[in-house]
Amino acid sequence: MSKKKMLSVVLSAAIAAGAMAVSVPVYADDVEEITWMFWDDLEATEDLISQGYKEVVDRFNKEYEGKYHVTPITTNLEEYDGKLNALIAAGQTPDVYICNPGPNMDVYVEAGAAADLTDILENQETEWYESFTDGIFERLTYDGKIMAVPTNYAAACTYYNTEIFEEVGVEVPTTYDELLEVCQKIKDAGYDPISCSGGTAWCLSMIAGYLCDRQGVDLNAIADHSANWTDEVCIEAGKKLQELAQYFQPTAAGDSNDQAVANFYNGEAAMLVQGSWVIAQINGNKPEFEEKCGVFQFPGIEGANDPNRMIVKTDNLLMSSKTEHQDACIAFMKMFTDETAQKYTAEVGGKFPVVKDLEIDYDAAPAQLKYVDDIMATATGTFGFYNESLDSVEAGDCFDNAMVDLFLGNQTPEEAFQTVQTFYEDNVWE
Amino acid sequence: MSKTVQKKKTIKPITVIIYIVLIILAVIYLAPLFWMLSVSFKDNAEVMAAPFSLPEVFHFENYAQAWTLGNLGIALLNSVFVCGVTLIVSLFFGSMAAFAISRMRWKLSEATHTFFMIGMMVPVHCVLIPLFVRFAKLGLTNSRVGLIIPYITFSLPMTIFLLTGFFRSMPGELFEAAAIDGCGIYKCFFKIALPLCRTGFFVSGLMTFVGNWNELLLAMVFISDPQKKTLPVTLTYFVGPYATNYVQMFAAIIIAIAPTVIVYCIFSNQIVEGLTTGAVKG
Amino acid sequence: MDKILRNKKAICIFIAPSLIMFVLVLIIPMVQMFYYSLCDYAALTPPNFIGLDNYKKLFFNDSTFRIALKNSIFFMIFSGVTQQIFGLLLAVLLTNIPRGRNVFKNIFYLPCVLSSAALGLLWAFMFNPKIGINNLLAKMGIEGPLWLMESTGFIVLPMWVIAFVALWQYLGQNMMLYMAQITGISRDIYEAASIDGASKVKAFRYITLPLIKPMVVTSLSLNCIGSLKFFDLVYNMTQGGPSHRTEVLATQLYAEGFNYFKYGYASAISVILLVMCLIVTLLVKKVIKVETYEG
Repeated sequence: MSKKKMLSVVLSAAIAAGAMAVSVPVYADDVEEITWMFWDDLEATEDLISQGYKEVVDRFNKEYEGKYHVTPITTNLEEYDGKLNALIAAGQTPDVYICNPGPNMDVYVEAGAAADLTDILENQETEWYESFTDGIFERLTYDGKIMAVPTNYAAACTYYNTEIFEEVGVEVPTTYDELLEVCQKIKDAGYDPISCSGGTAWCLSMIAGYLCDRQGVDLNAIADHSANWTDEVCIEAGKKLQELAQYFQPTAAGDSNDQAVANFYNGEAAMLVQGSWVIAQINGNKPEFEEKCGVFQFPGIEGANDPNRMIVKTDNLLMSSKTEHQDACIAFMKMFTDETAQKYTAEVGGKFPVVKDLEIDYDAAPAQLKYVDDIMATATGTFGFYNESLDSVEAGDCFDNAMVDLFLGNQTPEEAFQTVQTFYEDNVWE
Repeated sequence: MSKTVQKKKTIKPITVIIYIVLIILAVIYLAPLFWMLSVSFKDNAEVMAAPFSLPEVFHFENYAQAWTLGNLGIALLNSVFVCGVTLIVSLFFGSMAAFAISRMRWKLSEATHTFFMIGMMVPVHCVLIPLFVRFAKLGLTNSRVGLIIPYITFSLPMTIFLLTGFFRSMPGELFEAAAIDGCGIYKCFFKIALPLCRTGFFVSGLMTFVGNWNELLLAMVFISDPQKKTLPVTLTYFVGPYATNYVQMFAAIIIAIAPTVIVYCIFSNQIVEGLTTGAVKG
Repeated sequence: MDKILRNKKAICIFIAPSLIMFVLVLIIPMVQMFYYSLCDYAALTPPNFIGLDNYKKLFFNDSTFRIALKNSIFFMIFSGVTQQIFGLLLAVLLTNIPRGRNVFKNIFYLPCVLSSAALGLLWAFMFNPKIGINNLLAKMGIEGPLWLMESTGFIVLPMWVIAFVALWQYLGQNMMLYMAQITGISRDIYEAASIDGASKVKAFRYITLPLIKPMVVTSLSLNCIGSLKFFDLVYNMTQGGPSHRTEVLATQLYAEGFNYFKYGYASAISVILLVMCLIVTLLVKKVIKVETYEG
């Protein structure tokens, strides 16, 4: 036994020596070093928002040189939560990290990995707090405590090809029935009416989410079991999804999100339901499409719910509850919401700023941004992506998959929602 | 060419059929790889519009961009470092264990062999979670050493399996003669067994190296610092959250697989020979 | 001599490094995994012992697990059968051609040394509804299926596609092993047989087949285990979709563990995976050994 012990000591000593040999931190003693975890590679990314974040990081390291320094920890989107969880479980929570709203954030807040920012915002950094758009903290508040700071938000709208609309001779639909008529006419004219990706489940789920909300599905009621997934409103929304799916491009089931978008800007499909990040993608790939791209609000269903509610999604920063460099973290987070960063967000990134009183130069910004902004002005309420608004990440996936099954024709609306219902019975309502 | 034409008279029809089958198969094997090469020179719009045509203009900048944006230089160095260290250590540890199992006489040698072989059956996924939690506590995550340790461990079963075969195939008289000459056991190992086992090292080394070079899961979960990422992980980074840059992704894939293809082309003939002795006798 | 080879201290020193690494990195985590499988363990909260509940849920209340199990078994049988047959066939063909053997051999073995993650990305692109194979089919006027998104049938089309890609990638491995074995058989035996008037087919049946039997054990067990723990290709081609229909045990394990952070539940799946690997290995060894004695 003692021999084994000795050997293991020798071995671990060798390992430790090796570890030291490869990773030598080279920072001056008085610089406060923090880490920031993000879900896209800041070097390889094509995404304009991510590129904007990289600028923020560079700016921060330059401005606070000798005082603070931030090192980004990047993963790709798929692995992000896995790694973040593992780091938190290991007691190495990054000082600042990005997070989706909804059940995703619940996990970190409930695990005590996020710092309560209420006091900092309301009492210490009042000026910063007041610069934010009203109501933006609503979905970031838990039991009256603000747990995160938003950096931008995106809204989901319907983008359309004005040229095709003119050619076919149709107007922007405002109700679901009109939408169906428009689709039929476009289809008759030989175009794909709607471009959608079934291969990327959240794309389909966005349309499903809109249909559910327009129909009047109340997620809060479902969460506390005063309503069911098998209720008539859900089934009705499912039927509408099936109805609408006939007007998707023929390869919708297998197309990735990129292809669905390409389908739209290449003029093969007339409409695309997407988040506003798609603006940058469209204009980046096909600059000449900008002038023929229009935007309208996802149509309402007559006699059902308020047609002016919009799907929005914020990107949020959480601060570790265990950070030893709170000042550095706050300074870093503030940089994401300062004028330079926020102007970039709007004018280049194609997402919406989270601060008030920001002069956006709409001439510099993509044309579509203004249209989305105009729609936003008439919005009466917002709700999140459905897969990010359900009880858990798994519940969100369950909903997404049910919608894919429904779309592929493997299940009837009744069966698809029964799947979600069963999941809730087994896992949520216990 | 002219030689084959001359010989044609002696070739039987069955051989011709075999050749046709083999050539068709070879096309199935090579076409996707060449297609990937061709795609890597296009731009994204061309890929969507005309995926199978040869590139109109050769966009060599895809490679330059993939190289700089994907930090492929650093990733390449990391991969070489991690796989190199793993290779050396696993060969050394593995050969010691294989020697003891195959050449030395002790009661538990067969049991030990079986024990190590269990390692071949255990999927990495099975130990991922506990390993990560443990390593995180020891500060070994996000370090190349944290990657090397499990890599070595998971390389050992194959190495021991192959090398045991090699050592067993060596004539026992060699060692007896050495012992009579007064060689100690360590000398027997270092001076006789190791030098004779070069092919074995070669094969198991190559398999270890290739396996670890391509390993994705552990590298993905363990390393998050961009300065320490290995090549396969870097590839997945070209698939962005909302948009994928196909041409750069394929350029990066080409860069990533090039070293293995080159190494393979140079040494491919030695592999068969080695596989025979190792796998057949093991 | 004997004394030297029985040197206990030397044995310990030789075995120790491998043994220690094995115990620390493999055995202890495996035991831990087994314990976790009996717990309700969400990543960020400490494990809480719940007995066999995870297993009960797996077997009686998880349709995804049933699909994953079905797919994994399909995958194992498919690769086991096709890889052995085609690998052997290819090896026989290659040993019977006068020239170019090395060129073909190298081509067929090439994908084995390439990263299956990279190849997965490539093939996913190939089986895209528009860009890859379907683009070629469309030129011939055929409308191709959606390949990776088809979702009907007992074994869905994407599963066949993935199985085909795996066959494409790993066929070379079996071919190599068999070739090595066949070239190891002495030429004299075949010559003697042909003098006795045995046809090539007969020679194959009565000489080649029995002599390569030991290799069948090795390559079949490697095959089966390899396909049970198969992950990279599925993950990069379909991620288990559409709607879990191409889920295999390894991908479900990964999703439960790293998307939903149900460490306990994921551990239960990995215990089952492990048990299956053990059973299959023993089964292959047993069945083929019996045959050898009888033959």
